[in-house]
Amino acid sequence: MEWMALLLFFCLCGFLLLGYPVALTLAGLSLIFAFIGHLAGGFDLAYLAALPSRLNGVLTNQTLIAVPLFVFMGVVLEKSRLAEDLLETMAQCFSRFRSGMALSVVLVGALLAASTGIVGATVVTMGLLSLPTMLKRGYDPAVASGTICATGTLGQIIPPSIALVLLGDVLSSAYQQAQLKMGIFAPDTVSVGDLFVGAFIPGLILVLLYGIYVLAFAPKPPLDAKASESVPVSKLVKVLLPPLLLIAVVLGSILAGFATPTEAAGVGAVGALLLAATKKQLSYGRLREAVMSTASVTSMIFLILIGASVFTLVFRGFGGDDAIHSILSALPGGVFGAMFIVMLVVFVLGFILDFIEITFVVVPLVAPVLLMMGVDPIWLGIMLAINLQTSFLTPPFGFALFYLRGVAPPSLPTQALYKGVIPFILIQLLVLALLGFWPSLATWLPMAVYG
Amino acid sequence: MVVATTATICEKVCSVSAKIVCWAVLTMALTTFVVVVLRYGFNLGWVALQESIQYQHAFVFMLFAAHALGQDEHVRVDIFYRHWSGKQQAWVNIFGTIAFLFPVCMSIVFYSWSYVLESWRLLEGSKEAGGLPLVFVMKSLIPAFAVLMMLQGIAIVLRAMQSLLNTTERAT
Amino acid sequence: APSSATTGPATKTAAEPIKWKLVTSWPKNFPGLGQTPETFANYVNAMSGGRLTVTVYGAGELVPGFEVFDAVSQGSVQMGHSGAYYWKGKMPAAPIFSAIPFGMNVTEMNAWLHYGGGMELWRELYAPFGVIPFAGGNTGVQMAGWFKKEITALEDFDGLKMRIPGLGGEVFKEVGGVPVTLTGGEIFTSLQTGAIDATEWVGPYNDLAFGLFRAADFYYHSGWHEPGTALEFIVNKEAFDSLPADLQSIVEVATRAANQDTLDEYTARNNQAMQTLIKEHGVAVKALPEDVMLALKAATEKVLTEKAAADPQFAKIYASYKAFYDGVREYHELSEKTYYDNR
Ligand code: NA
Ligand code: NA
Repeated sequence: MEWMALLLFFCLCGFLLLGYPVALTLAGLSLIFAFIGHLAGGFDLAYLAALPSRLNGVLTNQTLIAVPLFVFMGVVLEKSRLAEDLLETMAQCFSRFRSGMALSVVLVGALLAASTGIVGATVVTMGLLSLPTMLKRGYDPAVASGTICATGTLGQIIPPSIALVLLGDVLSSAYQQAQLKMGIFAPDTVSVGDLFVGAFIPGLILVLLYGIYVLAFAPKPPLDAKASESVPVSKLVKVLLPPLLLIAVVLGSILAGFATPTEAAGVGAVGALLLAATKKQLSYGRLREAVMSTASVTSMIFLILIGASVFTLVFRGFGGDDAIHSILSALPGGVFGAMFIVMLVVFVLGFILDFIEITFVVVPLVAPVLLMMGVDPIWLGIMLAINLQTSFLTPPFGFALFYLRGVAPPSLPTQALYKGVIPFILIQLLVLALLGFWPSLATWLPMAVYG
Repeated sequence: MVVATTATICEKVCSVSAKIVCWAVLTMALTTFVVVVLRYGFNLGWVALQESIQYQHAFVFMLFAAHALGQDEHVRVDIFYRHWSGKQQAWVNIFGTIAFLFPVCMSIVFYSWSYVLESWRLLEGSKEAGGLPLVFVMKSLIPAFAVLMMLQGIAIVLRAMQSLLNTTERAT
Repeated sequence: APSSATTGPATKTAAEPIKWKLVTSWPKNFPGLGQTPETFANYVNAMSGGRLTVTVYGAGELVPGFEVFDAVSQGSVQMGHSGAYYWKGKMPAAPIFSAIPFGMNVTEMNAWLHYGGGMELWRELYAPFGVIPFAGGNTGVQMAGWFKKEITALEDFDGLKMRIPGLGGEVFKEVGGVPVTLTGGEIFTSLQTGAIDATEWVGPYNDLAFGLFRAADFYYHSGWHEPGTALEFIVNKEAFDSLPADLQSIVEVATRAANQDTLDEYTARNNQAMQTLIKEHGVAVKALPEDVMLALKAATEKVLTEKAAADPQFAKIYASYKAFYDGVREYHELSEKTYYDNR
């Protein structure tokens, strides 16, 4: 009954549009299909008896402990007003350039991305602080809002990143499965750490291209006559030091071998707490808000994981795995064709779904097939991560767009927001193409670091 | 009146448990930090301490999820949903909760019942030497999660029905 | 649905093949351990003429690797392939049926299980769970593990961070080591970056496959902590009882054959792999120093005495194990050991 599996997938896409929470729709619809399949004699209900064991597997998943820790670190940094200080100082630094404000948004976005990775927090902060000023200084509303949205999503690709943690968890088991299936009894492993290192160069390229775009190609604002104050070096150091220290602590401890990514996340979270404390921004109330919103984001992610785990169980019970396998291997163009279709599907799904659902639902289905065709797991992981980054920017369902819409002045037309992100989506697709042609952009650094 | 009180009680149970477990976020970060410092600074390590992070982690998302549902923090594909009227949204929430949430949570309780009872009977401990002897507590989170979600589901349906009635009353 | 007429329960006849699911704690097709259930399934399918078919699921495909026992006990699947030490949390005595530090080797273990009363004790231990155990292969003597630094004396174990699970880990802690738990995916990277100083894995065949030689230079023998790790087939009792007598026999014989087959494969491949490790990858193979071994042995004694005092079932089974071990060891001193020294 492989067709039931595919029907389940398509029905799912339809029912999700109703707007009921995704995780519950995933699990609920899968169950309904399982019961119908059972009545029709094509589904063995014993599969569902595996449910508690699978849920316990989610509870005891060690890799994903990094998720709440990185989220907490990001939320505490947000409360410590690190972004505010950075934006203010950097904007002053670059006020001499005509697109200085936009450039400072890109740079601050990149710095925040390397110290944490919470897209929402970054977009909201920059939207509150920089957007009004940029509009006042005569920036094209599309350029201003597009730059803020796009740089906000850098946290997804520049490590540490929650998207890479989730992808690493899914890919590491898919990779092992694929190699053993191929009869490679000397399987390599791929870990979250590998993806962190692999994402470094592509992340920098993205930042560079964003910078070039806002400086050279985007419509420029008129010159601001009175904006030519200079910033004392001491102030610059004072502002830059905390994020740079955090980056050194988190990424440094992973690279130097002091800690696994999970442990680095814990260290980073405590670092963020200390930073907030020294800045006297750590009241009981703030801390309480921080743990509440971390718990909220975490339970949101894990509920999707639970829903996806029910979905994959039922999908597998119907033989859907085999169906996906035969479809992808039958595509013309071999590896390139399969990879291209998968990237296209992920990009298109990104319009209506977000990265968590795609990572938990789609990636486990397609990754083993691609990896069996010989695709490098780090390359695949980074390609997916950059592709998933576009899902934040593609309407109608783009998280970054929502966040900015939420804090932007009502005078900013939503159309300008949509128009503004198009160049950045194109840049991401360009980087995706670059990576497609030169996989070593992603695979070279991990090789150099880990050998 | 009864409807509103029932909904409030259901929501209260979920929010109280959420407000307690959310602090595990802070303690798990601190525990992780302590594990790292002890290991690399002092060459000390306890499996139980490492495992406790796992437990704190599981407590957070399993017992917070229902409250997050009440606060509408779980992702919806709201391309259409957000443009719909309150009445239409209420129907979606009633339908989704009855068709999806309740069956899922009842299945979880149904299938995990004997699994968890067995663990309690044994007072199941860690498979790791020197690990925490509390696996039965961890496993109990599975039905606990489902029960909390159902309580929140009841509250959602009641609230939605109430808003439907109110709009109908106003219309007539 | 169109298929209901042929697969619905109403039309089930005696001629319809019985379908069993077998879940494992290893990824599908994992070298060595992962081959055992496949071998078993092939034997059963062939011997029963297709009347009983066994489908093997790798770890995580149906249930996670550490949930195999629960899945079999709850009856959501009919069979599992795993290692008894994973069920320590349910039965403190379970690890005796996989490996005890400085315990019996594979020959002795198989003898105890099948001719020394071990299997009866094992069945008795699992009976309350509705699970029947069978010996499910053995890795033979494992290796002590991969170390980034040379170990010259007991002091080198002080504060050494090693991934070493189970009873071995507890003993390791007794002598000053720091046992660390890591997921499979993190082991290689952690050893490479130095987040841990050492890890044990299985033996040359699996260790070569895992590529651990790329992360550490020193390969120590021998596997004091796992001197002959027994694996297990576990069968849901209800499912087993519902089989006709001939199929029950087929299942039992197939486990016995797969049990031997696994050891044969390991014996053949470990040697080839060790040659590759030494000749092609320049791995330094070394023996752990004598004082380290003595300390580990003393610590093992202490840990096992504590375990026996804490759990009557452990005490009972360990008494049988030890009595058999003491006897067989004496004879093997004369036979096997002398022969090894002389050949
Ligand atoms: Na990041
Ligand atoms: Na989107």
